[in-house]
Amino acid sequence: MNPKDQELMERYIYQVVRRLPKKQRHEVNLELQELISDMWETEQSMETVLTKLGDPREFAKQYQDDKHYLIGPEYFDTYLWFLKIVLLCAAVPILAVSVAEGIQEGMGLADSGIVQAVVTSAIYGIGKGIPNVIVSCIGIFGGITLMFAIMERNKVKFDLEKETEWNVRNLEDSRTGKKKIWTPNFLAPVPDKRAIISRGDSILGIVFIVIFCILLIFAPNFFSAIFKNGEKISTIPVFNLEQWHIILPVFILSLVIGLGDEIFRLIAGQYCKPVMISNIVCGALQIVLSFVVLKVFPFWNPNFTAELKLQAGEQISSSATFFIEKWNGDLASNLLFVFITVLTIVEIATTVYKTLRYGTDIKANKA
Amino acid sequence: MGEEKDLLDSLLMELRRGTLVLSVLSQMKEKKYGYSLVQSLEEKGIPIDPNTLYPLLRRLEKQGLLESTWETGGSKPRKYYQRTAYGDEIYQKLKHQWEEMAAGMNTLLKEDEA
Repeated sequence: MNPKDQELMERYIYQVVRRLPKKQRHEVNLELQELISDMWETEQSMETVLTKLGDPREFAKQYQDDKHYLIGPEYFDTYLWFLKIVLLCAAVPILAVSVAEGIQEGMGLADSGIVQAVVTSAIYGIGKGIPNVIVSCIGIFGGITLMFAIMERNKVKFDLEKETEWNVRNLEDSRTGKKKIWTPNFLAPVPDKRAIISRGDSILGIVFIVIFCILLIFAPNFFSAIFKNGEKISTIPVFNLEQWHIILPVFILSLVIGLGDEIFRLIAGQYCKPVMISNIVCGALQIVLSFVVLKVFPFWNPNFTAELKLQAGEQISSSATFFIEKWNGDLASNLLFVFITVLTIVEIATTVYKTLRYGTDIKANKA
Repeated sequence: MGEEKDLLDSLLMELRRGTLVLSVLSQMKEKKYGYSLVQSLEEKGIPIDPNTLYPLLRRLEKQGLLESTWETGGSKPRKYYQRTAYGDEIYQKLKHQWEEMAAGMNTLLKEDEA
């Protein structure tokens, strides 16, 4: 078997096993190597052998016991892992917020004795926190399942699109209503290891964005300076909550664009032209939107320092005084904007570099 | 005409599908590897596509009718399949059913000719 045939065989096997559950992949790989090389010995042509075996998607389906999946084996491992992480990431802050509310409530009762205050806090925290956590987790479970189910569907489409590259013959085929017949030429090369996008990275990015979105929507107060003034707890929000109804949608839009990009990377799984384009477009949009949020809108709480001084009163430390004096919304906006821009540009540059260097579709075009 | 051929093909495929398990089990008294089974079935007039056979062999193994061993002694590793005792038992029962069914079918088809 010459190296070209060997390469074709590997591509074919890769296309079959990547659609199977992880634990089957290794053995099926060996089986197919045995089968294909046996067939090759009789046929002496890899093209003929692979054409006989037919579309690898159909072959993989045979291994899948004709089951139809909401979330197929290709995604299932990721789905479970993702679900666990997100549920954990959501449950912990939600429980924490409820307990904090409980403590705040309990503090109000501190006059009637410490025991009663603690008991009230606990009852409040647990009684409110647990139902909150359960309700949110069910919602999150549904949302994530839906997201992966959509990914499963779209992945199938993704495959189809790649394999019907346009040429004049397509025109004839579509006129005669014939389905395009699979040939070994459709086999995409096995991606370079360095072109594979780490699923863990994409997932972490997604988790982070989702948590941030939840906090911004449901608890913008979370981003506050918290004070204990005698028995009372007071918070001073960092953001301009009076204008929040204008700021929030743009803020969320920017995050959703980032989320879309991350999800697309997760689906594609490797650096390629569509991933690069999506990254450039989303990155540019995010820079523009952060400019709008930070520089055009009144983003910061204009009374932040004044309220801070008022609350802190005499218990202020020297570093805090320094902070209050130096705090300046414009400066903070500028710094944050530069930070976001630099980070986005670095990410785009990495993606462009890796796509041009290792990206499968670009390499295939060059060859 | 094309439609008729498609229909015939799909009916034939269905007809064959039912006999696949029995065909394969019948050949597995002695251990065989996948492609040798494809060839021997074809020689005996029962062709089967490798992309149907390989998943089928796995399924039969999972159901406990066949057992497999990898042999690494030759030029490349080969996976051999063989009937288990349970497979023998099921095979005999299926075979008996098949003989009855075939006799019945023959009667039905002869009746039509008469």
